[in-house]
Amino acid sequence: MNVLLELSVIPLIAALFSAAVRSRIVVRRTVAVLMWAQTALALYLLLPVFNGARLAMPSADFLIDKTAASFIILTVIVVSASVTHASVLYGQERQTHDSRMFFAFTSIFMVAMIAVFTCNNLAVMWICIEASTLFSAPLVYLERTKTAVEATWKYLIICSVGIAFALLGTVMIFAAGQSTANSEGSLQISQLVLNAPKLDSSLLRLGFVFCFIGYGTKAGVFPLHNWLPDAYSEAPSPACAIFSGALINCALFGIFRISQIVLASKNGHIGFEMMAIVVAGAISALAASLFLINQHNLKRMWAYSSIENVGIMLVAIGIGSGSLFLLQAINHSVAKVAMFLQSGNVIRVTGSKRLSNLHGLISFAPEQALLLALTTCAVMGVPPFGTFCSELSVLVSSADARLWVVAGMLIVSLTVSFIAVCLHVGRIVCGTPRPDYRRLPAFTSCAMPLLLLASSLALGFLFNSHVWNLLK
Amino acid sequence: MELSPFQLLEVMVAVAALLMLGTTNVRTNLTMFAAHTTFLAITAAAVGHIRHEHTLYAIAIMFFLIKAVGAPYFLRLIMKTIEVKLDIGAYIPTPIALHTGIILMGVSYLLARELPGAYVSADATYGAAASLSLIFVGVLMMVTRRLALSQIVGFLVLENGIFMFTLVKTHGMPMAVEMGILLDVLVVVMIAGLLLFRIKKSFEHIDVTKLTELRD
Repeated sequence: MNVLLELSVIPLIAALFSAAVRSRIVVRRTVAVLMWAQTALALYLLLPVFNGARLAMPSADFLIDKTAASFIILTVIVVSASVTHASVLYGQERQTHDSRMFFAFTSIFMVAMIAVFTCNNLAVMWICIEASTLFSAPLVYLERTKTAVEATWKYLIICSVGIAFALLGTVMIFAAGQSTANSEGSLQISQLVLNAPKLDSSLLRLGFVFCFIGYGTKAGVFPLHNWLPDAYSEAPSPACAIFSGALINCALFGIFRISQIVLASKNGHIGFEMMAIVVAGAISALAASLFLINQHNLKRMWAYSSIENVGIMLVAIGIGSGSLFLLQAINHSVAKVAMFLQSGNVIRVTGSKRLSNLHGLISFAPEQALLLALTTCAVMGVPPFGTFCSELSVLVSSADARLWVVAGMLIVSLTVSFIAVCLHVGRIVCGTPRPDYRRLPAFTSCAMPLLLLASSLALGFLFNSHVWNLLK
Repeated sequence: MELSPFQLLEVMVAVAALLMLGTTNVRTNLTMFAAHTTFLAITAAAVGHIRHEHTLYAIAIMFFLIKAVGAPYFLRLIMKTIEVKLDIGAYIPTPIALHTGIILMGVSYLLARELPGAYVSADATYGAAASLSLIFVGVLMMVTRRLALSQIVGFLVLENGIFMFTLVKTHGMPMAVEMGILLDVLVVVMIAGLLLFRIKKSFEHIDVTKLTELRD
């Protein structure tokens, strides 16, 4: 038995179970329990990695290092939290779509995402990232409305074409290792990093550009982000939470692996390629914050906030700091998953995604309003939440690297987005409620967002302490 | 200019793909796609023969079955079911698209000469030029065609271009990787094809330029 197989068993069972069993109640309860079992299993299997243990993998094409292990654990927790919330949500009201489909596809989708982080081979990683697109497309389509069809089409086609370019880039990096006579070349990331200075520099650069465009499309880098707000606004909230909290990390992880090869080829100096990542990140963050000003849809707003965070994470990757990338990814995922789940609650209370229909939540459902406001703080990086520490660290590091323009752009985008989002959320919380709002059971619907919010708070306090040093 | 039979084959692949730009008839497009993919499969087998790599024979056969037979057949089935014959039109007229394609073919030859990399035989310039040309044709089809079905075909041509680039510019990816990529492409086509039914059902057309309900 190898780790990859062991981590796939429970999700595959969950997928088969939800496809085969007809009772929705049994399915949603069982899958939620299975997902937490998966979390426990992932922690049990992967925690030894932080003590330097090497795990048994199917071949040399797979490898789990500390960063990968952290991301797998993060992904599993994100999926478990979202599935649990979905399970509660589906129990409270009749859904327009088949909830069994949600659980089945989420489970397979999770396997694809876990596989992305275990890859030590560029081409295998490409296959896994493409597979994650394919298994997540049905999640966008779940509501089966006209707009959902449109969003799914855009998602599938734009991401597939984008990722096709990443395949071209992968082939070019492969060819870069074969430019000298008698060299076999390798697709294994560890081999490529080791032999990086010997790679053909022009092919490596071309390959990097194509890979960055490809995986950047999947991550939602401006100006290739078009599909992202559409998909987020149409997918059900728990699926959005997984997209934002886990899928984005997969694509960024791909860019991170490529950047490791590029960085090694320059002996650790930040060259043209890394600067390209930093600049693309800063521009994405700035553009997303400007898009945030004029928003009319609650979920589209958080989608743009995700793009902004992608920008910040790209800056962290471009500086060459994997640990900073991981830090921002963990904090963003935890806060944003809480946000999407809570937004789902708000949408159920008000029955609308349009910001113009959302008013006066504080007088109708104070607990939901309070949680929404607090989660907004967590997402936007208000101290003492974890996102504050990570965003500040990225800022400080970019200033340390003497990237003044980039640091300035980040400050502007963080400020603009904070003001814009606070205004929008302020309008939701205050004012007079509309008469058609519905009540939600406070405890069950708030449990999961509250738990994640507490985690985000804990991450803020744990920063720079023993746990963080272990991850580093 | 003398071309060896192998180089001629490589050029044929690119020319067959180029002809797809010349018509908006979906059926002809699919036939041309099948023809050009068959040429590509033969090229793969020829590369296998030249380099004495027998796994390439297996890859060529799988490639032929999935992409030259399976995908066009599946797309033709969809075409019949949702009753489309002509692409409702492109952003640019077909003659101009065809000429752009020819110019891009010349550009890809110039680009291919600049690219370093491993060589199958003495000279991989023709192969690399053909593969880049396929990528250009695929992108051009995806950008200019309005019919969702043509976009899928464009995507497949783009994928073929990448496959050909792998073929002529590297010593070949591992068999398992090639199979995984083929499988992924197959699933993309199947999901996209099924989505076409849904688009037709919800919108009563498959014109992608009219899919504009979602915007900021």
